[in-house]
This record gives sequence, structure tokens and C-alpha cells, in this order.
Amino acid sequence: MHPVRSVTPFAVTVAVLVGWGIVAHDSGSGWVQVLGEAVGAAVVVGLFGPAVALARAGVECRANPSDDTAGSPVGLTVTASQRVRVQGTDPPGPVGFVGPGRDPDSPCTVVIVPSRHGVVDSVTVDVASAAPFGLLWWSRRVVLALPTPLHVAPRLGRSHPTRPLIDDGAGDGARRVAAVIGEARGARPYRPGDSRQWVHWPTTAHTGGLMVREMEGPVRVPATVTVSLPADPDAAESVTEDALATVVALLSKGTPVTLVTTERLGTVSGPVEDRRRAGRRLARAVAPTSAPLDDPGGLSVVFGGSDRRGGRP
Amino acid sequence: MKVMEAVRRANRPGPPEDSVRLRVLIVGAATVGLLACRAEGEVSWWLTIAAIGLLATGMAFSHATRARPVAAVKPALAFMAIVAFVWFFTELRAHPFTDIGGVEGLLAALFAWIQVTHAFDVPARRDLSFSLAGSAGLIAVAGAQAIDLGFGLYVVVWGALSLGALFAMWGSAGGGAPTGRGAPTVVVTVVMVGLVALLALPAPQVAGNISFPSDLGSAVAVVNPAGLAGDGGRPSEPSRPGTSIGRTRVGGYLGFATHLDTALRGSLGDQLVMRVRAQRPSYWVGETFDTWTGQSWLTTRRVPQAVATGSPFTLPLPDGAAIGGTDDLQTFYVVAPNPNLVFHADSAHVVWFPADTLFVQPDGAILSPVALGPGTVYTVESIVSSPTPEELRATSSIDGGLSGAQQRQALQLPHPYPHVQALAEAITARAPTTYDKVQALIAWMGSHTRYSTDIPPLPSGADAVDQFLFSTRVGFCEQISTSLAVMLRSIGIPAREAAGYVPGPYDPITDLYEVQAKDAHAWVQVWFPTYGWQSFDPTANVPLANPSPGATLVGDATHALGRVGLVPIGLMVAAAAAIGLAGRAWRRRPRSWAEKVTRRIERAGRRAGRERRPSETLREYAAVLDARRAGAPDEHRAGAPDEHRADGADRRRAATSASWSSLAWALEQDAYSATPIGPEARRHILRLSAQWRVPRRLHRPAPYRAVVDDGRPERVGAP
Repeated sequence: MHPVRSVTPFAVTVAVLVGWGIVAHDSGSGWVQVLGEAVGAAVVVGLFGPAVALARAGVECRANPSDDTAGSPVGLTVTASQRVRVQGTDPPGPVGFVGPGRDPDSPCTVVIVPSRHGVVDSVTVDVASAAPFGLLWWSRRVVLALPTPLHVAPRLGRSHPTRPLIDDGAGDGARRVAAVIGEARGARPYRPGDSRQWVHWPTTAHTGGLMVREMEGPVRVPATVTVSLPADPDAAESVTEDALATVVALLSKGTPVTLVTTERLGTVSGPVEDRRRAGRRLARAVAPTSAPLDDPGGLSVVFGGSDRRGGRP
Repeated sequence: MKVMEAVRRANRPGPPEDSVRLRVLIVGAATVGLLACRAEGEVSWWLTIAAIGLLATGMAFSHATRARPVAAVKPALAFMAIVAFVWFFTELRAHPFTDIGGVEGLLAALFAWIQVTHAFDVPARRDLSFSLAGSAGLIAVAGAQAIDLGFGLYVVVWGALSLGALFAMWGSAGGGAPTGRGAPTVVVTVVMVGLVALLALPAPQVAGNISFPSDLGSAVAVVNPAGLAGDGGRPSEPSRPGTSIGRTRVGGYLGFATHLDTALRGSLGDQLVMRVRAQRPSYWVGETFDTWTGQSWLTTRRVPQAVATGSPFTLPLPDGAAIGGTDDLQTFYVVAPNPNLVFHADSAHVVWFPADTLFVQPDGAILSPVALGPGTVYTVESIVSSPTPEELRATSSIDGGLSGAQQRQALQLPHPYPHVQALAEAITARAPTTYDKVQALIAWMGSHTRYSTDIPPLPSGADAVDQFLFSTRVGFCEQISTSLAVMLRSIGIPAREAAGYVPGPYDPITDLYEVQAKDAHAWVQVWFPTYGWQSFDPTANVPLANPSPGATLVGDATHALGRVGLVPIGLMVAAAAAIGLAGRAWRRRPRSWAEKVTRRIERAGRRAGRERRPSETLREYAAVLDARRAGAPDEHRAGAPDEHRADGADRRRAATSASWSSLAWALEQDAYSATPIGPEARRHILRLSAQWRVPRRLHRPAPYRAVVDDGRPERVGAP
């Protein structure tokens, strides 16, 4: 705990009080001395009172969201027994006030802005007070434990295409080109429920029965996204951003995605159904301690490693 | 560059302050400061009213323009501030002042002007804090002129407004922090810290070169300026001689006249006569008397010397004055009408008095051309000789310093006092030096005489000293001091009578001695070579040390407490203890008849040495007590009566049976059944519970005997 400005306020106070005391003492005026003592008492309480208030202020995080995105502000519900000023330092954040206030409905939220992906279990904040007179701010650094871990997902980076599937069992040996979802690939007989706009009149005339276009559906072959984070935090952040963007793009096409990452307890491989889950998985991802993860093959994208980044050409 | 950067950072405007309450409180504090200056006469009424109006206008303007300050305001205000300082120094040069007191009026006006101009440019909280500090400067300037406790009202109001403003500052800086929360604790803390500072710090001392106030006040011209008079026709003036018929009530001291009649005494009350600011407490001498008639003291008629130099007056040293000494500066603030005597500590040397001429008598008495009325202020610098007893003892003989005539006058007696001389010689037989003789006589008088203002009148033709020493031995300061002076003269020690005031009680807040009418006093002055006339007081008990505020307050409190007496204190303490115990018993009283019965059962068990265990119900506990009554071990509990019947007859029967268990059962039924016990049954139960006793255990418990039903033999042994 320390005053925000340590030298100037005390020096000015001492100088003023000493000067006042000398003048009062030598003028022989008792009232001037009494006034100086009253002013001095108020100033002393104003300079040291915040330390007492700060020491007695108990700050606690009561609730927090579970998910966030790097670079986006997130509010923590913080309570304090005294009115204090709180500002996040790790992760950083703007200044806010928590504690009992004149307005009983005033929010007690501390905003932090995580800059990187990860799992945040605690935040470091600067708690400051200038009670009771607002003359001098005293502050101390406090680590607030979050009730629930905060998963900070990476930002959306650049999406990478998956490696195309090579299907040698197709007969002609030709390489199968990945189809674009929604593209017409043929015609089939009309089934109740099909849209009238799908009716393909030439084929209908040709076959004599009502025929509709058949669209290319989503690839049912799950894609695997493998993420091996480099040791450098900035590079790791970039990798996770691209990985998330890729996963989101695949999911938007309806492709089941299996995400392979390395977490603290080891390699984790599992499906991710939406962006939130993907973000959580990537938030928990850490750099592998041993060799980067292997390419699983098939429809996959590999991120990270020494010479691998994105899909294989 | 770092300095410039620091200056730029310090002058960077802060965020605009939105709190209206803060501004109102600061305006209030500054207004109180201005009114305090007006109350002390430092600024005029028109300046006060104009300043208050402009102050409020400026604050309103600042609040309205706080987000977008008007660019032209700052240069205009700077110009006005420069004008104010130019005016201040011009006035200072045009009216040279001899002491700081004369500058305080100009300072107050300057502070007010600066406060007003600053009020037009206070958009941020930091600027408002400067305004608050400015109000402290205003009230401090007013406090420099304040001499009574009435100024405390301004201090209290200003303090309350300032504290409110400080709380409002935190409320604004703290993002809407509640200002009422914890405020009483903070206020008490500030007051306590201030009190500690008040008690610990030394009292202010008048510097010998910065403050010599003088003011004429409501003075009354004297018909004969060179003579002692002051009779403006008002009965309240104490300068007129008294009459011999009964008691005269003039509200002052009769001695401040051309003669001191020891047979008369005025009615001296608590009327405040004057306030004195001094570097040390002293006797405030008015005049001395050197001719004793047997009943009255007179002053040798000598023409006073006129000193017409104007203020400050440098006076000639009086006859027999000490050679050397320390300077002692005193300022007298006259409150009640006084004669034209200029009171002072011994050997006044320089007097700042608002007149053209002063008259000085050879004995050092100073007369003014005007009788001193309320509001008169004058300052005296005395040369005080304070030799130690060893130094006085070293002056062995009465030679040098006094002329023959002066010496004869100092030994004058109206007639021989053979008895008085014999008494004095007997008392001082073993005193080797003059100082020891004086102390021996004072000690004798302290142990052989009594002080009282209620004394019988002096018989016609009787000698006051003979009457006091050989008849009554009861008197007040005039009889006591006169007797001492006569005894000293009878054994050849020069002495004279002095009249004036004792210092009076010291006020640690105003740093003034509050001299009241009852502080009028007469004492003896004895002449010592080199050290001149030294005062000796056989009656008054005047502390010689310069008191500190803390010691004074503690002393006053102790003294007041000591007057109360041990018996009343003891009675009060006992009464307080009794009230406390009664309150405690009242709070713990049983709230119902059942609770009363329960407590009686538990009390009976405690007396028998068996406390109720926390896990025990009342019925279980009662069963144990019944077992004790039956002489059985506690573990063998008597069976409870049939508890399943619900009709009232059975409950009444149970209530009257002689067992604690019955009582407990009755209480349970009363608490939980649909029909409670009637009042007669309750009274019966209460009576039974008050009468029964449980015998204490007188025998050792029987050895434990357990029968284990497993085929194995019984085991018997101690528990």
C-alpha cells in the first residue's frame, strides 16, 4: 500500500503547517494556533485516512462471465466494503468505482480487456481510496480470484482452406474436387416437400416425371484442425486466431470439425460444435512441450509447428 | 525541462466539477471567514457584503462555464489580482505600521479580494480546494485579532462547513461515494487529533518585535490628566474612594485611588476587567503606596513627570528600579471601565499607548490622560528582574540604590510598633539575610493567620496592624500585606504596599489572561540592592511557571475535581454502578412465569452442586434433582408422572405434587397444550419452586454395577 504521490503532498503539508505554526506562535494569537491545529488535524486525517480505509476495504469478485474474446471488454461483478477505485492491471482495464455509493443502484462492475487468449483464473487490480476527504489517493495491488475461470478466445484471424481429399477409390482415379455447398450436382425425382423452384424442367421433360435439382450438401467428412502453438506468445496468438477463423468457416459450411490441441494435461482431440466451444478449446491450448502434433491426415488443417502452418499445399 | 514539465502538469486543468453541494459549502466557508473579519473590525461592512455577493456570483459563473471555460476570464482575473497587490503595497507605504496588527486589516481586504477574483475561475475540484484553503486564510486573519472565546462560534461554523466541503470532495472524487457513511467517526477523529495538538504544542508567545497593538476604545477624558482619576460619573468605575459607612458596592477595587483604606473593601465579583497577553504571568501593578497611617496607605505627593513624545513612550526608570533584567511584553485589552492607571508588570520601560502624553510618577505608576474604557488596548514592555533566592540572599545590606529620603520613606511608620517589632524580631531571629527574614515572616503569617473577606469593622481609632496581628488574625490581602510591610519596616527592611491585579486565569485558546474584578490584589514590595523592588505575596497563590495549554486544562480539571470531594465522587460512582447493575438485572429479568420457575429450578440445582447440562431438558434435570432429594444417585432417575393426560384437573394435580419433575412437567404442558394453567395453579407452582431446596450430595456415589447380558460374569468397579 502506498500513496499515489508520496513526496509533494506531505512536503507541502509539512511546510504549510510549520509556517502556520511559526506565525501563530510568534504572533501570540491563540486563535490562529487553534485554527492551525484544526486545519492540521483535518489535513493529517485526509492524508492518512485513505490508508486506513484501504486497509479495511475488502474487495472480492462475485461473478464473472465464462467466455470472452481477446481485445473485448468483459465486466466483472466486484464488491467492496468501502468505496474504492479499481482499475485492472493484468489484464488491463479502465477505471471504475465499486463499493457502497450514494446511488444504491450503481453498478459494481470492473471492466478488463484481456489482450490475449487464455484461461484467466484471477485478475490483478489496483485498488485505491482517498476517503474521507479526497485529498490524497492511496493504492494497493490486489489479486482477485474469479469465481469461474474466464476463457478468453482468440480473435478471428485469417481462415485457411482444408487440404483436399484424395480419393483413389473413385474409379477413374481422378482427384475429387471439393464441392461447393449449395451447388447443383444433379437431378432426382420430386419428393413431397421439395421447393417448386428446384424443379428442373428439362430433365422433367426428358424423363416424363417431375424432377428437381439436387444440391451439393455439406461434406459429411469431418475436418480435423490441428493446432500446435509455438512458444512465442505473439506467434501463438496469431496461430490461434487463424485456427479459430478456420474452424468457424468450416462450421459455417456444416462441416463437422475435430479440434486437436495441446492442453496442460496433454493432447486433447474432440469435436467442436460452435464458435464458443472452439474458442474455449483454443483458450485452453498451450504450446506442446515435445514435438508438434502430427498431421492426422484426411480432411485437415494443421496450424503451428516448425514448418507447418495452415493446410498443406 | 523536468521543472517545466512539472509546472505544466500542475497547471493542467482537471475534469470539470459537477457537484453543486461542494461549491455551496465552499461559498459558505468563505462567507463565514469574511463575516469573521468583519466582526473583528478588519474590513468594512460594504466590502463584506460586496465580497459575499461577488463570491456567490463567481461560483455560479464558474459552475455554468465549467465544461467550457471562457478564455477571456483568466487574463482579466490575473489583471485584477495584480491590481489588488498594487493597492496593498500602496496602502502599506502610505500608512506605515509599527507592528503586524496594523497590517492585518489590509491583509484581510487583500485576501477577500483574491478570494472573490478566484471564485470566477474554479471549474475543477482542484481549483475549489484552493478556494477552501483561501477561506482558511480569511478566518485565520480574523483570528489574529480575536481576543475572546466568542470567536469560537465562527470557528465552529467554519469548521463544520469546511468538513462538509471536504466530505463533498471525496463524494465527487469517489465516483458518488457516500459522504454520510462514517462521517461521525471521521469528525471525532479530527477533533481528537486537534485536541492532542492543542494540548501538546506550546502556547503562543508574543514575539517582542512584531506586535504592539494600541487603541483608544471608549476612553473618557480625565479632568486632571496628571492625577489619578477616572471618574466619569459612572458608579462602575473603581477609582473613587469608598465610604466608611457599610459596604460600598462599586464593582471594582477601591484601592485604585489616591489612598488605600484597609478598612474598606468593595464587592469584587467575576466581572471581567481586562484581558492580558503576556510572555509570562506577572502582577499587573497599578500603583504603590509608601506612607502608612495606621489605617490607610497613602502615596507621597510628588509631581508626576510628563512624557509627551507620543506613542511609543520610553519611560524613565522608577526609583529603586533593578539594574538589568529581561524584557517582558504585555498587551492589555480593557473590557470594563477603568481608572486612568496604566497597569503593567514591574518597571515599565516602553509603552505603546494611543495618546500624546503619559504621566509617570517616581514610583513607576503610569497615568494616562484618559480613563480607560472598554475597547482600549495598549502594550507595555517591562524590564522584569527575576533574581533567584540565592541571588537575593547574597544582597546582604541595605545600601546603595535608594537615596536617604527614599530609604526613610520606605521605612516610614506612623508611630512605634513595639509589639509588632518584637514579634517580627522573634520570628526572624534565625533568619540570616533579608530574604530569609521576609520568607520567615510570610511563613509565620501563613500558619498563624486566616484569610477571609468577612471581617469585623475596624474600631474607631484602632490600628489595623495591631488589630490584625494581636486580635483577630483574620483578614484579606490588604490586612495581610499591610501587616507584613509594617513588620518588615519595624525591623528596618524597606517595604511598600503595591496594588494591582494578579494575572488571572489563563485561557489556552485565546492565550490571554482573563483578569476579573476579584483578581484585584494588594501585596508587598521589598527593596533589594541591585534587584530593586521585589514583590512578595503572603496571600495570593500565583503560579510562577508559564503554563502550557495542556497543563492548564489538566490543572483546571483536577482543581475542579478536587473541589468536589471524595464523598460525592464516591456516591456518584456507587450510584452509577447501582444503576448499571439495576439495568443489567432488568434486561435479564424473566419474561414469563415459566421462565421464573425454570430459573428457580436451575438455581436450586446449582446450589446443590449440580449444574444443568446443555443437553438436558428441564424434565431430565428435574428428575435428577428429585433423585437427589430421594437420596438416590443421579443416574437413577425418578419416573415422571403420567404426562399423557390433557385435562386440567390432572395438570393441577401434577402441579401440586411435591417433585421437581412435576413442576417441569407442568411447565411443558402449559407451554404446549391448548389450555394453559390457570393463575392460581401458577401461583402455587411459583411458591413451591421458591420454597424447595435440593440437598447437596453428602455421600460418595455407589460403585458402578453393570450387568452385561452376555453370559459373562458381572463386573463391578468404580466408574
